[in-house]
Amino acid sequence: MKYSYITPRKKSFFTKDFQLMFTFFNVTFLMLFITYIFLLFRSYQFDSRAQEIVLTKTETSQSIEKMELYTDKVTKEYLFAENIFTANSVLKDSITNLFDLVPNRITLSQAKLLENGLILYGITPNEDVYNFMLAAPLRSVFNRTYSSFYPAQNGWLRFVSTNYTDKEKEELNED
Amino acid sequence: MKIKISKQIIYLLGLSIILLILVLLFSFLVLVPQGKEYRIKRSIVKKQNLELRQLKDFEFDTQTKLKKLTSDNKHVIGAFKNKFDEKRFEKQYKKYFQSLKLSKRVKQKKQDTFNVYDVNTTSSINSPKNFYDFLDAVNKSDWIIKINFPIDFQRDSEAIKSSFTIQVYYRD
Repeated sequence: MKYSYITPRKKSFFTKDFQLMFTFFNVTFLMLFITYIFLLFRSYQFDSRAQEIVLTKTETSQSIEKMELYTDKVTKEYLFAENIFTANSVLKDSITNLFDLVPNRITLSQAKLLENGLILYGITPNEDVYNFMLAAPLRSVFNRTYSSFYPAQNGWLRFVSTNYTDKEKEELNED
Repeated sequence: MKIKISKQIIYLLGLSIILLILVLLFSFLVLVPQGKEYRIKRSIVKKQNLELRQLKDFEFDTQTKLKKLTSDNKHVIGAFKNKFDEKRFEKQYKKYFQSLKLSKRVKQKKQDTFNVYDVNTTSSINSPKNFYDFLDAVNKSDWIIKINFPIDFQRDSEAIKSSFTIQVYYRD
């Protein structure tokens, strides 16, 4: 005997409630998983970037080191060359001063420029002219001055003037 | 009043709780540590990037300075590389002298890192002015040359005989 006019529906486990819950958790898991994959991918990217940076930093440091070494070399060369150029210029000034120092009445026959001195050979009309016009300025330049005379054929005097600078004194003066 | 809870709802609730626990476990055991690691790595990369940028800036500055230094000192750099050639020297500087002769070069001890050659010269000049001009020109020569002591000037009728040593510096 039937009590209902409709046939009973088959009961299924996948009800609408279950589908809703299933979808909800599926979406949640998917989102979490996507986030996880994103984090993994970004971590991998950071790792590769970090390695790349370390490599670039090493290369850059090496390049800087090379450039600094070359800069040091060029600076050293430049300073060394400057010293030489200055020494040449100073030498030129010294020779100019030397020839300016000799008065017209005295004739030089030879001049020897030493590292710490000067030797002059020449002829002077008399000892006074030499002493006043050449020996005096030489004495003001050099620390030690020695002169010797011997007669020339025309009645004038040949002289040898030896002049030295004491390095120690020069250094003290510079200090 | 009695609330009837069907078995289906109980299963559903049970399953939901299990799934929720799974979600929480995944989040706290996997996702959160990974997130922390991500943040640490991001800050490390950020810091390294900053350091790299500073290093690159420094490299650029060093390069600029070096370029300026090399362009300012082209002559000196080139001159230190040139090996001394007596014939070329005589040819270049003969115009300052009536005669110029160079003796064989003698290698001296290294000064700093520079090789040094001593070359004795004997020459004859018309006036000291020629020698001054030579000294000016020697500073612009193809070699790094120092006029060394002793320098000897000797009167020889109308001319002045001079003899001096030049030191030539170069680098291998």
